[in-house]
Amino acid sequence: MANVDSREAHVEIDSVRLGFGERDVFEDLSCRFARARITVLMGGSGTGKSTVLRMIAGLQRPDSGRVVVAGEDVAALSERGLQRVRRRLGMLFQDGALLDSMTVLENVGLPLREHTKLGEAEIRDAVHERLAAVGLHDVDELLPGELSGGMLRRVALARAIIMDPEIVLCDEPFSGLDPPNVERIEALFRELCHDRGLTLIVTSHHMASSLRMSDQIVLLQHGRAVLGDPGELATSGDADITDFLGADGAALARQIAREGHR
Amino acid sequence: MKTSTAAVRDFVVGVFVLASLLAVAYLSASLGGLSYKGAGGFELVAIFDDIGGLSQRSPVKISGVKVGQVKAIQLDEDLRARVALDLDPSLELPIDSSASIRTAGLLGDQFVSLEPGAEDQLLGPGETFTYTESALSLDKLVGRLVHGDAFGDD
Amino acid sequence: MTDTPIHRLGRFGSSWIVGLGRIANFAGGIVLAIVRPPWRVQRVVRAVYDAGVLSVALICGAGFAVGMVLGLQGYTTLVRFGAQESLGAVVGLVLIRELGPVVTGLLVIGRAGSATTAEIGAMVSTQQLDGLRMMSIDPMHFVVMPKALALAFVMPLLSSLFIVFGVFGGYVVGVELVGLDGGSYMASLENAVGFRDDVLQSLVKSAVFGALLGVIATYRGFTSPGNAMGVSRSTTSAVVTTSVWLLLADYVITAFWGV
Repeated sequence: MANVDSREAHVEIDSVRLGFGERDVFEDLSCRFARARITVLMGGSGTGKSTVLRMIAGLQRPDSGRVVVAGEDVAALSERGLQRVRRRLGMLFQDGALLDSMTVLENVGLPLREHTKLGEAEIRDAVHERLAAVGLHDVDELLPGELSGGMLRRVALARAIIMDPEIVLCDEPFSGLDPPNVERIEALFRELCHDRGLTLIVTSHHMASSLRMSDQIVLLQHGRAVLGDPGELATSGDADITDFLGADGAALARQIAREGHR
Repeated sequence: MKTSTAAVRDFVVGVFVLASLLAVAYLSASLGGLSYKGAGGFELVAIFDDIGGLSQRSPVKISGVKVGQVKAIQLDEDLRARVALDLDPSLELPIDSSASIRTAGLLGDQFVSLEPGAEDQLLGPGETFTYTESALSLDKLVGRLVHGDAFGDD
Repeated sequence: MTDTPIHRLGRFGSSWIVGLGRIANFAGGIVLAIVRPPWRVQRVVRAVYDAGVLSVALICGAGFAVGMVLGLQGYTTLVRFGAQESLGAVVGLVLIRELGPVVTGLLVIGRAGSATTAEIGAMVSTQQLDGLRMMSIDPMHFVVMPKALALAFVMPLLSSLFIVFGVFGGYVVGVELVGLDGGSYMASLENAVGFRDDVLQSLVKSAVFGALLGVIATYRGFTSPGNAMGVSRSTTSAVVTTSVWLLLADYVITAFWGV
């Protein structure tokens, strides 16, 4: 697994401990996320995949340990310092988290309206550019409630990249989507990562798409993280990993490894 | 399209605020009597032995016409009721005018009735009425009837 | 943990005080957000529309109905003493001093307050507030402050509308139906009502009620746990808590006003 580890880490989680009430979610979690790669966080429900994303975003502080994002330890930053780091982050929430009283145009353009001095026309152009990048046209005046699940995710993705972040965090982007929409979003992720050079950290329990699109996989189990690419996971021999992948997953992983990474 | 719905909403909010402020203004000025303040400012004082149910803001009338209101009621050094009246400044009352406390109807609200005198000299701001007549209370009246001195002088 | 009734009472008491401290802190946050630019005029106007404009029909209708009832009840009581000419004073004073602010308050709690808590609670559970934080937008400033401010602002306005429609309702019953003289209805009303003791007291009451509702409704939404059950509990709790505090505040203000 050394080849993955040696890449420059864009986000690094170091000896993090976190508990909710009596229950420890992580006792001693460490893992690294490479720059300009797609890393998929996998694991059964309740293993804290989303919590890892929330810690990277600074929405959840660990009890101890460091969460280093682009060189800054967000676990130790004030709210003000967090705002600085968050300018470099985009986040795609599970159900989009678009403001449902605002139109698509207002939603996607909101960060620009809040943090830049751009005029209405410039904001509109920037929004249209991002919407086109996610394959959407003529949706300006629609409200989030009027969008389908797949469109909702894509609009939310457009909002996540409106400020040109370096890192995009995606929480369960495939849940509840039909196969064509899953593939469309997968393709968008690859495009963002390979064409725009963004670092993507994606949580998913969607086995096939995770194995297909990931450069590396972080498997969360029993409060620890195992890192590797699909081929390495399939051949690791670790009982936990074999359990999680199952026979189908292992076969798919071996096939992907054999065919070479895309 | 979108701008126009937002503009319509802004307009409706504006109408709402305006209409509600009119309601506030109506309550304050017309009902609350704030507007009467404009015509007041001429203060006279009347001392009574008994004011009955007179209270602040009770009307002051001449020949039944409202010309002002009771501004304040205090006890003076002689433990009598000192009633300050806030009156229309255009009033010209001779110094021998009198003030009395009357009741509107048998059980109605009490008010101060002014009876203009005949002297040439006029009452100035802050001066005191020489002649006053206290409230005539129903229980006193009944008491007198029972004791048979209803027409005796008091 | 020791579990006697005394211990339980102690724990309840101290957690209640902690909760009070948190709400006070939250209210301070709202005040800070009000004075901190940008001003969010559009957001406030939108919230005034939701809380105020959409409540107008309800408030006017309720005010008219309450005024009619007061007119009828007042008349049947007053006529026994031959004092029916004072109907205007009775209807007006009861509406201005008590029923206007209190009934409007309770209606707005039920209509706009619960909607505010539910909306903010839903935004918590769908991660919309976290979404704002990720865009470096403070949800206190963007979501909470406009809604709280709007509730505090519309309450005196709606209460005034309620009173005016109530007075009108009393007039319709007293003058049109029962046959009192319209002039004496209005005259007794105008004579009885004073600015400081009645109208100002009424406005202060409804402003206090509005501020209470603004803080409690947004706080309950903001702190609601992120699931449907939690949102419905928070909404119920916001309605109940605010109603109780409103009635307590009503007594305190009336007593301290000294009338």
